Amino acid sequence: MTAITGDDIMGAFTTGARYLELYRESINALNVFPVPDGDTGTNMLLTMRSALERCSQDGYTSAGEAIGDLADGAFWGARGNGGVILSQFLKGFADGSASLDSYEGPDLGRALAGAQTAAYSAVGQPVEGTMLTVIRSLAEHVQERLQETPGSDSRGLWQSAFAAGRDALARTPDMLPVLREAGVVDAGGMGILVIWGGALCHLVGMEDEELKAVLDIGYVPNVETGRDEMDSAFLEAIEEVEWGYCTQFVISGEGLSPDGIRQHLSESYQSAVIIGNDRNVRVHLHALDPGPPLSYGASVGQLSHIEIQNMTEQNVDFVSGHRETRPASKLAVVAVAAGDGLARLFRETGCAAVVSGGQTMNPSVAELVEAVEAANAHETILLPNNKNIVISAEQARDRIPNLHVVPTTTVPQGVAALLAFNPEGSLESNLSSMEQAMGEVVTIEVTRAVRDSIIGGVDVEEGQMIGLVDGDLTIASESPEETLRLSLEAAGISSDMVVTLYLGEEGGQDDAEALVSELEARVAGVQVDLVYGGQPHYHYLASIE
Amino acid sequence: MAIKIVTDSVADLPAELAQQLDITVVPCNVVLGDISYKDGVDLGPDELFRRMAAGPGLPTTSQPSVADFQAVYQELTAQGDSIVSIHPSAKLSGTFNSAQQARNSLGDADIHVIDSGMASIVEGLVVLSAAQLATESDSAEEVASQIQGDLSKTHGFFLLDTLEYLQKGGRIGKAQAFLGGVLSVKPILGLHDGEVHPIERPRSRQRGIRRLRELASQMAPVKQLAVIYSTEAQEAEDLKQGFSDLLSGDHIVTARFGSALGVYVGPNAIGVALTQA
Repeated sequence: MTAITGDDIMGAFTTGARYLELYRESINALNVFPVPDGDTGTNMLLTMRSALERCSQDGYTSAGEAIGDLADGAFWGARGNGGVILSQFLKGFADGSASLDSYEGPDLGRALAGAQTAAYSAVGQPVEGTMLTVIRSLAEHVQERLQETPGSDSRGLWQSAFAAGRDALARTPDMLPVLREAGVVDAGGMGILVIWGGALCHLVGMEDEELKAVLDIGYVPNVETGRDEMDSAFLEAIEEVEWGYCTQFVISGEGLSPDGIRQHLSESYQSAVIIGNDRNVRVHLHALDPGPPLSYGASVGQLSHIEIQNMTEQNVDFVSGHRETRPASKLAVVAVAAGDGLARLFRETGCAAVVSGGQTMNPSVAELVEAVEAANAHETILLPNNKNIVISAEQARDRIPNLHVVPTTTVPQGVAALLAFNPEGSLESNLSSMEQAMGEVVTIEVTRAVRDSIIGGVDVEEGQMIGLVDGDLTIASESPEETLRLSLEAAGISSDMVVTLYLGEEGGQDDAEALVSELEARVAGVQVDLVYGGQPHYHYLASIE
Repeated sequence: MAIKIVTDSVADLPAELAQQLDITVVPCNVVLGDISYKDGVDLGPDELFRRMAAGPGLPTTSQPSVADFQAVYQELTAQGDSIVSIHPSAKLSGTFNSAQQARNSLGDADIHVIDSGMASIVEGLVVLSAAQLATESDSAEEVASQIQGDLSKTHGFFLLDTLEYLQKGGRIGKAQAFLGGVLSVKPILGLHDGEVHPIERPRSRQRGIRRLRELASQMAPVKQLAVIYSTEAQEAEDLKQGFSDLLSGDHIVTARFGSALGVYVGPNAIGVALTQA
């Protein structure tokens, strides 16, 4: 692979900025530290745009010069905590590689080391678990690789550093408690990784989709709901807090001391990030009153690029944005089923929760209510899947609001109803199509008779297998397979039908497979699916539809 | 001075139709193994599916480059023509983005780049109506705005054998809800708001095709209709026959998924696209 040239650098950061644009809102949504004001993505993007605007349109023969111009542009346009650190990252990167025409592996190592040092030194009190950590991981990874393999090429290093950066980003919630509480990774860290990854797409021709898949780590999925969303307790906790003002300005003068200004301001203010040189110093800090830091700045030199944002207002928008765009799900289905196979089937086919229960094992109303609440949806549809449980389901419905029962009395009816569910549809259209679907399947149940009897004209001895078609005893026979076969025959199957067999915990896979082959051979064109249900009590459940 | 229509191979337009209507089709790239092919130029669906079946490793796709579009736009505008350039949903592909960058690089040339919010022959129908409008209008801007106004009337439904390819290719979108599951189903997906959405989960292929017919019929009256398939031409032909009450047969377009979309829909995919009257 070839070294990274000036034009490569421009292409790389232009692509990085494009990705930042794409991810701006998702990064904003992650922004809880240092203040949950939801603007990190926007700030970093505006900073990147300013960096690019500063650059020459005629291309660059020198990589060092290209990155130097980017850093310069970023300095003047830097916004917010994330933007200022980003501009300092670029500055350090440029200082580590001034006057280079192109980057070989070791040059990239020096540039990143410079970037790391500069980023950390800009911040009054560096905190780990932030974009600083991600920057450090990029730099350290490249150092390590170069020590192992001094000849590593710069594009390969860029690529493997991206993977290291991703791992570091994924660990930020473990390092910074507020991220863990909110259930997110660090927004600024995500911003850096998006730029680095976007650049990678340009440098090695990585596919868009591949990058997107790698970047899909913004949220720590909620343990209970399994969803990617901000923790609701966290959102409540950050409401009605006085966040003060994000205060930013540039001081210009002669003989300025960025270190001295940083030291002075970070004693009194939060999130102080101070960068620059002896002529121009950019200040970013959070203050309950923006007046005093401005007065201080004016006492040191001339002020320009003054920008003040009310973070309390931004926080209100941030919280309401999360409540609007990431509510608990709109609509969910909860089913009752017995047996590991059936529970899995219902869950994988789209149920938010499955309550264990079935024939002779009715779940309590309280258990149903609990499962519905755990599903955490605005509206919930409950599939009882058993005649006896329909009553409990209706009692649960009377106890909690927004619960609806599709009164399925068998597992196959429940499966048919669930397959008719579309999470994007309205409650009404779902209830109607689910009820219709449950009526379109015939259910067969094969179980063992518990006593001698004559039911519906069928003579049954205790211990014999019996087959019920839609609840009516139809067949009594010796083997489960024979009983199922005769029951299916009695119900009638023809070529355009779909037959599904759910094998119970006592059933034998081989016998079941033999029956499938026989059915397929006997009725041309019929589709027979065999599924492990693991249900107790019924050797087989079957549906014809 | 004419209005020229440009699209890309994701629109799955039958080649003879594109040629007849003077539509320029910019090919997307399909990468098989480590070789990049031009969709529809040096890689067709038959070869793609053969290679996919032979495995291992799924092919990937990439949008045409900015330079590809620049070349086409420059050639057409050099003759003084205006361009309406119609592309797949930016949520599904970077093609729109490439086309837009190419347009931006060409100063004040009269080029209108449209995000159809669609893909495949659904996008193709939009392109076909643009080609029709272009012959009746002398303003590319007018064609573009009329096309954009009509986008909400265009719909597509696709029956897939499996969601595996769509998922692995990162294009599953909202149809994620239909992923997984122990039961065999033949998912029907829809395209709207620029994304793939779940529609239904019929248990068998036969029923799925019947549902495709019903879903399309519910949209009647229609002014454009197309059927599309990946490997089963006869099924598409049968489906088309079933639409004779919606539109006369010679007005119904029969298309085939090209190699770029074939990567995501896989073999045995079949679909219908329509524009409501």
